[in-house]
Amino acid sequence: MGAVEAQSRVRSSSRSSGVLPLLPFFAFTGFFLLWPVVAVTLKSLKGKNNEWTLDNFRPIIHSGPYFHSFIVSIKLAIITASIGSVVGAFFAFVIVTYVGGRLKNVLDSISAVFANSGGVPLAFMFIAAFGSNGLATKFIRFLGYDIYAGHFTIFSFTGVVLVYTFFQAPLMILVFQPAISGMRKEWREASTNLGASALTYWRRVGIPILLPPFIGAFFLLFAGGFSAYATARALTSGTVSIVPIVIGALVDGNTQASQANLGASLAVGMIVVALVIMIGYVWAQKSTAKWRQT
Amino acid sequence: MNKKDRVSSTLELRGVSRNFGPVTALDGLDLVVAPGELVALLGPSGCGKTTALRIVAGLEVATSGELFVNGERYNEVAANARDMGMVFQSYSLFPNLNVSENIEYGLRARKIGSAQRAKRVAEMLELVALESKAKSFPHQLSGGQQQRVALARALAIEPRVLLLDEPLSALDAQVRSQIRDEIRRIQLELGITTLFVTHDQEEALTISDRVGVMSNGRLEQIDIPDVLYNNPVSTFVANFVGTMNHIPTIASGDTVDIFGKKIRVKNSKGVNGSVSALVRPESIEVTRTSGSGNAKIITRSFLGASSQIICQTAEGAVIQALMPSHESGDLHPGEDVTLNVTLNEVLVSHV
Amino acid sequence: MGAEEHCKMASNLRNSSLQKWSIIIFASLLGFTLFILPVIASSIYSFQKPGGKGYSFISYTWLLHQAGFFPSVGTSLKLAVLAGILNISLMVPTMVYLNFTGQKLKPLVDFICILPLVIPVVSLAIGAQNAMPSFLQNTQYELVFFFVIIGLPFTYRTLDTALQAISLKTLVEASRSLGASWIRTIIRVIVPAIRGGITGALFLTFALSIGEYTITSLLHWETFPTWTVVASQQNILGAIALSVFSFVSAIALLATVALFSKKGARQVGVDQ
Repeated sequence: MGAVEAQSRVRSSSRSSGVLPLLPFFAFTGFFLLWPVVAVTLKSLKGKNNEWTLDNFRPIIHSGPYFHSFIVSIKLAIITASIGSVVGAFFAFVIVTYVGGRLKNVLDSISAVFANSGGVPLAFMFIAAFGSNGLATKFIRFLGYDIYAGHFTIFSFTGVVLVYTFFQAPLMILVFQPAISGMRKEWREASTNLGASALTYWRRVGIPILLPPFIGAFFLLFAGGFSAYATARALTSGTVSIVPIVIGALVDGNTQASQANLGASLAVGMIVVALVIMIGYVWAQKSTAKWRQT
Repeated sequence: MNKKDRVSSTLELRGVSRNFGPVTALDGLDLVVAPGELVALLGPSGCGKTTALRIVAGLEVATSGELFVNGERYNEVAANARDMGMVFQSYSLFPNLNVSENIEYGLRARKIGSAQRAKRVAEMLELVALESKAKSFPHQLSGGQQQRVALARALAIEPRVLLLDEPLSALDAQVRSQIRDEIRRIQLELGITTLFVTHDQEEALTISDRVGVMSNGRLEQIDIPDVLYNNPVSTFVANFVGTMNHIPTIASGDTVDIFGKKIRVKNSKGVNGSVSALVRPESIEVTRTSGSGNAKIITRSFLGASSQIICQTAEGAVIQALMPSHESGDLHPGEDVTLNVTLNEVLVSHV
Repeated sequence: MGAEEHCKMASNLRNSSLQKWSIIIFASLLGFTLFILPVIASSIYSFQKPGGKGYSFISYTWLLHQAGFFPSVGTSLKLAVLAGILNISLMVPTMVYLNFTGQKLKPLVDFICILPLVIPVVSLAIGAQNAMPSFLQNTQYELVFFFVIIGLPFTYRTLDTALQAISLKTLVEASRSLGASWIRTIIRVIVPAIRGGITGALFLTFALSIGEYTITSLLHWETFPTWTVVASQQNILGAIALSVFSFVSAIALLATVALFSKKGARQVGVDQ
């Protein structure tokens, strides 16, 4: 594969007519993706009188609520990405190992629906299922456990965690499946043949191979959990103070210029966190590529 | 575990069968591989040869039958305690470990000290002539190099038996013959009992002491290559080993008529009617005729010492002959020739 | 290794079927509780009469009588269709070109296309508020462009997979050597060959656009999802019914996509 690819690259580089055919793509993403990012960054650096300043970032570091919203958002992202990646990896393993053919296609499609379900409908569905009078709540109560016995409500942070898991785990199934399918039966058999136990196999081969894609997938889930807005907004009407909701409140309706600037600086703060995640993701992808079979 | 304790082992299978649901993959295989012997199991895909190998390795469980190594019953021995080195078809190297780490994997599993491991790895690298690749990762190696590492890894544990599961089939033709010869050299050097599974008859015939031809889960014939080639016991073996002409003819009693010559039928005595006579290319003699012969030359291909001549009989059958080049230099396409069979008896198969 | 261990390993082999089934059963139960139960529970709930006694379509019909329902559905459909078309028209030529020439810029395009998954949509929305010229800000059609952006990561993967599954070079060279023009080659040869991928990309963009809430609400437009949130404040049962309906529709839609792309891939694989 590698040789063929390299060959075709050599052959075609003499023929490729440059970047001209890619101009529409670069123009489009430049204007609608990169320019907004630049614009929000510039705005976050402008003061009340349009002067350059770092003042807008002060509240994020110094003021309790804004700093706190980042902590809540990161906590939410870590918790949901952790649960989602572990649960999703388990399902991916089961699907790859035991499920084949038509059923696998169906499960993959369902995972795709669920993974993309993070949005307004999901919030209302979970209110119907896990609200205090929700049918799932009643069902679980019928089985002998009252989830509302403690502090739980579907409208709380824990509720948001529950709902996010619903789309994080299926996303993990989709993202992590290729890594598990890539595990060749021969490795396991060669390991056994060479006299190693199952434990040794996982310690020396299985986990080292799966860990980088797992970490990569975790970062992807983190990014999703960190920036999701719609579900939390619809579910909690803005009472759980994650950064996107705080931003939404700041720029909603009749906003003062200073608030808009603060919103911009919070948005830039999110981008910074996201970029850190992206670097982690790229690193994980690189480590995966290092061993890739050619 | 030490080298001095290790003598070549005998591998024995007695009536080993394997069913997958209603399908019988292996049907009562009896096989003895003598110490230091290389036996190939040859057959088309699905004939049960790989199943047999995997049962020996412990990666598959026999439905019935027994397995012995040096007379010790091995059926219940776990796959990771069998001390059998196996080389897989391809992609079996651990991609996250470099060449040295791959080779010492089995030694680590045996809790062998690092100094001794290093020594053994160096020996193995020398054996397969890959000293310079010790720190390379599998994906940085060519297919042939990968299989040599796989061989080194399998041999590093000083296995009782070496198992080769189509180790050459994923390689290019040129590399294939090179690795094939290397496997044989190493196998002879170490005197290790080896079971080799392949669907390529040339591979099997060139490096094996004995070849077992399998079909539908059964062993059709097992013998030295010469006997398999010259004296196949069945039409299946005859067809599978070497090139074979199928000459349409009529059988009556225990003879057939081939190019006007009555020849005794070796199998299916008493068969009458339309049959195909199985004749090797080198058993056909092509001579020029002044008048009209019984065939016409289509092509002659020079192969070196011998030449391949393709003819078509008056009845339309295409016949391949192999003759010394110096005897066939005057044969040209389009010429009338007479074909003769230089055999006393033939195998026939029903049409 | 002792004899005891030998026996243990051998019995492990025999027990593997038991182990297999216990894993499968555990996974099924977990999957049911986590994913199926909420869907079933909310589906049943959506048919409950207000007050909880008996079942009816009342929550569903309530929707139809709301003033905003049809306009917002109409807006969403219109924007989603436009986003799908724009996405395809932009990405199909780009991806074909990248895959055919083996461009060095492919990693860059790959990187750009994954950005929408990484850059928080909220940040993108705030940026859009500041960056877009006013003639765009004044029309709801500005959303189309951002829907395309949000769809990029998925479109890129889908089209890339489809293009790698066919022998693009051979197809193009065969077509060109038979005298077909570039445009004809793309329309008559490549597009049919990756029909599955294109359909998949189209539907994915469509589905994402239909459900998009973040950018829409932060840019203060009314589409189906933002209208739903507003409507929920009057009638939560209505909002639940709406959600169940759109979720189940999404399953149906994506299942169709899966069917389409599988079929497309199979045809290409066998015939060519």
